[in-house]
Amino acid sequence: MSVLECNDLSIQFGGLKALDAVDLSVNEWEIVGLIGPNGAGKTTFFNCVMNVYNPTRGSVVYRGENITALPTHERVPRGFGRTFQNVGLVKSLTVMDNMLIAQHSKVRYGAMAGIGGMPGSFREETALRENALEILSFMGLVEHRDARVGSLPYGLQKLSEIAAVLGTDPEFLMLDEPTSGMSPEEAHEFGDLLLKLRTELNLTVLMIEHHVPLVVRVCDHVYVLNFGRLLAEGKPHEIQRHPEVVAAYLGEEE
Amino acid sequence: MATIEMTPVPAAAPDERSLLPLLDEGKPSARGWLARRIVQAGVIGAGLALIAVNPPVLQTDRVTKGLIFVIIGFSLHILLGYAGQISLGHQAFVGVGAFTSALLVSKGLTFWVAIFVSGATGALTALILGFVALRLKGLVLALVTFAYGQVAVNSIFAIPQLTGGGAGVDALRPAGFEGDKAWAYLVAGFLALIWLLDWRLVKSKAGRAIMTIRENEVAAASFGINVVGYKILAFVLSGAIAGIGGALFAHHTRQVAPNDFNFQLALVFVLMVVVGGLGSRPGVFVGSMFFGIFPLAVPSDFVHYGELIGALLLLLTLTMFPGGIGQQLKPFTDWIAGHPFHFSLKPQRESGISSGGAGVRP
Amino acid sequence: MISALLSAIILGLIQGAVIGLVALGIVLVYKGSRVFNFAQAELGTVAAFFLYFLIDVVNVNYFVALPLALIGIGIVGFLLERLIVRPLFDAPRVTMLVATAGVTLLFIALELIIGHTQTRILAKAADGTAFTILTVSFTYQRMIVIAAVVGLAIASAWFFNKTDLGLAVLATSQEPVATELVGIGTRRISSFVWVSAAVLGGIAGVLQGPDTLLYPGMMTREFLLLGLTAAVLGGITSLSGAFIGGLLIGGLNGLGSWAQGQFTASIGAIPAFPEVLVFVVLLAVLSVRPQGLFGAEA
Repeated sequence: MSVLECNDLSIQFGGLKALDAVDLSVNEWEIVGLIGPNGAGKTTFFNCVMNVYNPTRGSVVYRGENITALPTHERVPRGFGRTFQNVGLVKSLTVMDNMLIAQHSKVRYGAMAGIGGMPGSFREETALRENALEILSFMGLVEHRDARVGSLPYGLQKLSEIAAVLGTDPEFLMLDEPTSGMSPEEAHEFGDLLLKLRTELNLTVLMIEHHVPLVVRVCDHVYVLNFGRLLAEGKPHEIQRHPEVVAAYLGEEE
Repeated sequence: MATIEMTPVPAAAPDERSLLPLLDEGKPSARGWLARRIVQAGVIGAGLALIAVNPPVLQTDRVTKGLIFVIIGFSLHILLGYAGQISLGHQAFVGVGAFTSALLVSKGLTFWVAIFVSGATGALTALILGFVALRLKGLVLALVTFAYGQVAVNSIFAIPQLTGGGAGVDALRPAGFEGDKAWAYLVAGFLALIWLLDWRLVKSKAGRAIMTIRENEVAAASFGINVVGYKILAFVLSGAIAGIGGALFAHHTRQVAPNDFNFQLALVFVLMVVVGGLGSRPGVFVGSMFFGIFPLAVPSDFVHYGELIGALLLLLTLTMFPGGIGQQLKPFTDWIAGHPFHFSLKPQRESGISSGGAGVRP
Repeated sequence: MISALLSAIILGLIQGAVIGLVALGIVLVYKGSRVFNFAQAELGTVAAFFLYFLIDVVNVNYFVALPLALIGIGIVGFLLERLIVRPLFDAPRVTMLVATAGVTLLFIALELIIGHTQTRILAKAADGTAFTILTVSFTYQRMIVIAAVVGLAIASAWFFNKTDLGLAVLATSQEPVATELVGIGTRRISSFVWVSAAVLGGIAGVLQGPDTLLYPGMMTREFLLLGLTAAVLGGITSLSGAFIGGLLIGGLNGLGSWAQGQFTASIGAIPAFPEVLVFVVLLAVLSVRPQGLFGAEA
């Protein structure tokens, strides 16, 4: 069953075709990798799927619903969770604060009810904190809950972002280079975490990555982007040997 | 295509223990909280007593003006501190509220309704600016807010039928509250309400959403936050409170004229919030009280020294002490909030206008 | 009626010269420090006060007092750069903008403390009227203003395009790190920019002052918003744009005044119509063509 299906997705900035007719699909419970040299358009692709950018052509279908024009924030209640290359958290606030922010779309009390201090909002705030603690505990981050995100080492910031995106109660995760800046050991542990999350939380994952061992180990399917175009797709070991893919990466360090 | 063996998700074993007790870790004991509450009550009580005593320099009348400035300061702080939106035309919202209330009361409407209508008109004025702010940012937004303030004041406020020309409009206080002390307590009551509102704003999803938008709009949207909606909300809240502050201002001076709302007033408002300290309610309180009271407390020859000191304080804050007064009060205010008392002479962290100052903790 | 309209526009254009001068200073500072200088207009008032003091209190001859006043305001600009601009070099630009607003407040406060609220009359450079077109008198003073503005506009265009120092200023504003690495002293350039902007602002003030009354906050009250709008309209990075923007805004203002006169006669006064008109133009430019008429695309 297809979770995400992108057809002919294209976007143009002035004269530059950042994405050109990209077809990509992710099926339920798959972990799909999106790889390609720097500047290939991977983050742009994410931005189009999330409607941060308006694609000039093509469609984005989520579980059968065409969401191409749906505003970014309305994707979250449908199950989207997205992380960023440079840690999309409020760095001046604490991990716990960010966990509360992340649960925004699940909060049942209205904005004005919260401002007015309605009793229900107090109760729900406590529930939000409890939920946050559970997720942090699962991620092993409880001891850092009161630390300012900006003061944490980069690896912990990345993990905090994963915790936060879990706070949005997602079904479909889009991770943008989750292991950048991590050591090979940390990346391996992250792979374990990902597999665990997939099983325990029934997640589907689309992941931009540069860590080849991680991609090979964890991904069920891989798409390769280059210059905004889909270069190849297939099983990880097929992609590894694909001559054009190798050529595209030639000279690239991963 | 996918051949993933999915084991059925095991039914979650109910947690034996809730993790909630963790939230209390590092918090003060019951006695610790009691001590803090006593101090808080003491400070508030001292303030109320000050109103009753009416001492020479800090006369009740002046203190009330200071409290009104605090309300206005809080309204601007929602934009400047929480939302990170620069607003150099705030005097327009305040003025709209002032004239709305004055006019309505002059025409016979009761103060108690007029004041809320003032909030509504203030909110409306701010809403218009909010729509503009959706499309513009940074320097250009600052310019437009400045222009908006000037133009609004010079055009709408200059309509004689609305604002009585140079003489202005009368604004009488409600029955029973004409005296200085009663009026002062009434204003203090409004401030308390607004303070509570601000407290709940910050601790609920709306405040968090607004602050996230300030820091990173795209990430905010990725967390499900309706960026447009919450930006508009910030302007509306700010305008509403400014309108109420304006109404109180009008009835305080018992008369309001267009000249009361010039460009310099807009800058004084920005000044008192920035010097007070973005992200710090106590700081903004002190800053606003100072700028509300000083011009009155000083002999008329020295009135302009207040403006001089104000400008110097602003420049000092921007260049050397970004957290403003709030940063200096932090050891004390953090203690009240439940942290251990911690005084250090460490240099200031960078916390400018764009990053919301010392960082309000949700 | 046509002659009234034309007169209003001509008068507006003459005023547009001063607006253009203020806009010129604003563009210069923007090129140098990437910020809208909210103190640009008030620098003119301060310089006018310097001139007044020298002529009316110290009794110095006008043509000695004038350069002294401009040197004075240049020093003020230098101090501004040292004490405010440099510490905020890395700060967000909005912070810097608020700081310049604070400087304006500072200036106005000082003017009020030293000069009180009394309005004064500033001496002219030259008395008398050369000729009159329609109802507009082209006094020698006004012609000096026009000549000064045109001359300065041409001079700055030449300066930025042809001289090494001028190019260095542009380089610094666009690529400070690279410029520093290449050996151009960014600090000295920053000082130069602010001293020049202060002098430009000062010239605007001393030339405009005689035409109206001198009072604390005069230039800010009357020219800051117009100057900022003209700079944005012309293209915040274009010096010639500033000048042309000034003329356009001045003309528009004049047109607006004439229109207001017409409304008052027929349907009743519309307060501040010229100002509203200028504001609408500002919004229109920012929505439709944010880089202004001659600015570079962002």
